[in-house]
Amino acid sequence: MSLAGFIVKNALRNKRRSFLTAGSVAISLFLFVTLQVAIREMTIPPEDVGASLRIAVRNKISLANTLPARQLTVISRMPGVAAVTPFSFFGGKFKDDDSLGFAQFAVDPEKFLQLFGEAKIPADQLEDWRRARDSCIVGKDTAKRYGLKVGDRVTLVGTIFPVDLELRIAGIYEGTIDDTNMWFHHRYLDEAMNNWGRVGMWWLRAENAEVVPDLLRRINAAFANTSAEVRAETERAFQMSFVSMWGNISLLINSICTVVVFTLALVTASTMSMAIRERFRELAVLKALGFRRHQLVACILAESFGLAFAGAIVGVGGAAILFSSGKFAFFPVFELTPRIAGLAFLIGGFLGVISMLAPAWSVSRMSVVEGLRTLD
Amino acid sequence: MKLPLTYNIRSVFVRWRATLATVLCTALVVAVYVVIQSLAVGLEKSSGNTGDPRNLLVVRRGATAESTSQITAEQYRIIRYVQGIERDSSGLPLASSDLSLVINVPRAGGGEANAIVRGVSPLGAVLRPQVQLTKGRWFTPGKREVVVSERLAARLAGMQIGESFKTGPVTLSVVGHFNGNRSAFDSEIWMDANEARSIFDRENYSSVLLRPESNPARERIVSQLENDKRFKLRALPEVDYYQEQIGAVKLIKILGSFLATTMSIGAVFAAMNTMYAAVGARTREIGTLRVLGYRRKSILAGFLIEGALLAFFGGVLGCIFSLIFNGWSVGTLSFETFSETVFDFRITPMLIAQGLAFSVVVGLVGSLLPAIRAARLPVISALKAT
Repeated sequence: MSLAGFIVKNALRNKRRSFLTAGSVAISLFLFVTLQVAIREMTIPPEDVGASLRIAVRNKISLANTLPARQLTVISRMPGVAAVTPFSFFGGKFKDDDSLGFAQFAVDPEKFLQLFGEAKIPADQLEDWRRARDSCIVGKDTAKRYGLKVGDRVTLVGTIFPVDLELRIAGIYEGTIDDTNMWFHHRYLDEAMNNWGRVGMWWLRAENAEVVPDLLRRINAAFANTSAEVRAETERAFQMSFVSMWGNISLLINSICTVVVFTLALVTASTMSMAIRERFRELAVLKALGFRRHQLVACILAESFGLAFAGAIVGVGGAAILFSSGKFAFFPVFELTPRIAGLAFLIGGFLGVISMLAPAWSVSRMSVVEGLRTLD
Repeated sequence: MKLPLTYNIRSVFVRWRATLATVLCTALVVAVYVVIQSLAVGLEKSSGNTGDPRNLLVVRRGATAESTSQITAEQYRIIRYVQGIERDSSGLPLASSDLSLVINVPRAGGGEANAIVRGVSPLGAVLRPQVQLTKGRWFTPGKREVVVSERLAARLAGMQIGESFKTGPVTLSVVGHFNGNRSAFDSEIWMDANEARSIFDRENYSSVLLRPESNPARERIVSQLENDKRFKLRALPEVDYYQEQIGAVKLIKILGSFLATTMSIGAVFAAMNTMYAAVGARTREIGTLRVLGYRRKSILAGFLIEGALLAFFGGVLGCIFSLIFNGWSVGTLSFETFSETVFDFRITPMLIAQGLAFSVVVGLVGSLLPAIRAARLPVISALKAT
């Protein structure tokens, strides 16, 4: 029998235990990966193509404060601005959803594609949307979830705005990082609100990346000391401002990850030492036969590393399969990054090594006679 | 014949090394479960603890939170003089029009948080006896002054008495701290309502809080306001409104159950391993017991009890771990108001009981298969085992 065969035979001699050990590694690493992906989603929002040129302008007081619509003329005339659109989060309730099922935004449809060019939508549908003031386009994920088709009429009950809107679906788009949103004419909202003269925020696209820093500064300066001071920031910075709002939750999840990994180490280490203690006598026989200490340690290491790694493959692989099927609708993209997968494998391998330390130590220290006498 | 309980207890500790790992593992699983559920409980308690049962809150129909509701000044004038509102000592109706809005403020230690600013009318504090000034003084209207919840102040930068912070073009100075008595008010900054309207460029108020003089009056006011065709309003008991503001609770509970389920599978595996090893090592002992006349049933029960005990010790340890967190204050985003909510980990006896029950279940499930195996061991070969 080759040495490799010997190790495999040893690892599988108590199939149940090997399965349980690898299984607990798999489950814990699955949990670890899930939590890490969740925390990544929360703290590092996904980045769209074209995001580097997009600038968000909002009221300096907070996002919940609106801006006067008259700012448009000032912003659109600034050098370096390629396109600018009003942008208001409508926050309407659709059907009997007790939570807000998807986000709806009022924008200027003429500017929409110039800003969010990654959205793909058939030309005739786009044309229809641009022409009909009461129409909207909706992302394919939301359309699928609610069974919406082009031509359907939907009613949104305003939670933030004191109006309800009836919209006709002109088109269905896809290709953005989050195909769940609904977009409709800002003018339609303005009409419903009796031309209130306010917008939620401005989104604009800079002509090129070089002008962005200067443009941000100029926009901020243009409205300084007015009744509506603004904060202009890149899309990235805008998204990051949400991150710190999660408060202690990320810390909490990180601590749970630590606990999970620690628990896992405990379980694996205890099973490994159980497995080795059980065959102490056998190992003593091997020693008596002339096997060297490092050979025995290598055997143990290979076995424990193999088990832990097998568990890691199942756990991380399972997570990868589960997440790719898009079952986690709560997050727009639940993506298992190579970094997180790598980290999980690293932990798996590390566990394999740690859990063999104690058994290997006692094996290498034991004298043959002592080992042969062991009963347990 | 039943195996004596002391036998089970002592057996658990004979192989203490393997046992210890399983006990610790269960302990950690139970601790994670209890701690996360205690967050949900804390948030629920904080919402449920808010408001005075005598008060009615009037908001725009359809608004999911006070901060998205709007009440015009004219509506307020009408609401204020509705029949049946209790009067204070000087004869004014006990009603307060509030403005609730969210501002960005720097967090202590970097980053930004959304905080709720509540503009209150002079009677606002009278209607909310939960809120007690603990340090400094109340704000003077018109002087750009605010009072801040002391628990929120600890989490944000520039909120100590004497300090000031900028929001938009305005600088507000902190003149006092209040204690909201573990309610949702602990997440708020208070100032004068009309001053807030002018600073933040708001034409309308957000809500009206009022106190009906009696129960019949309360019902009359509710139906009168809700049926008035002139305005789309909703009047509901203040406590009910706050109890609805717990969207994050659902999420925390989902997270908690997901973690508990997944981790408990790991714990069951660990318990199974330990118990199988115990059965393996005690094969001869089991044979002996059988020869002595103990039935298969007793052996089965014995190992189940052992497994349950093992996990129960873990559960106790886990609950003790989790108690460290009890009362710690945390802050996170509220989904309704989109602002920082401050609340505590609340570990209740109910949660402890749940945690312990949970651990026992883990132990029983984990030891079921090993116990069946032990009970099925043939006597003769068991006696011959090494």
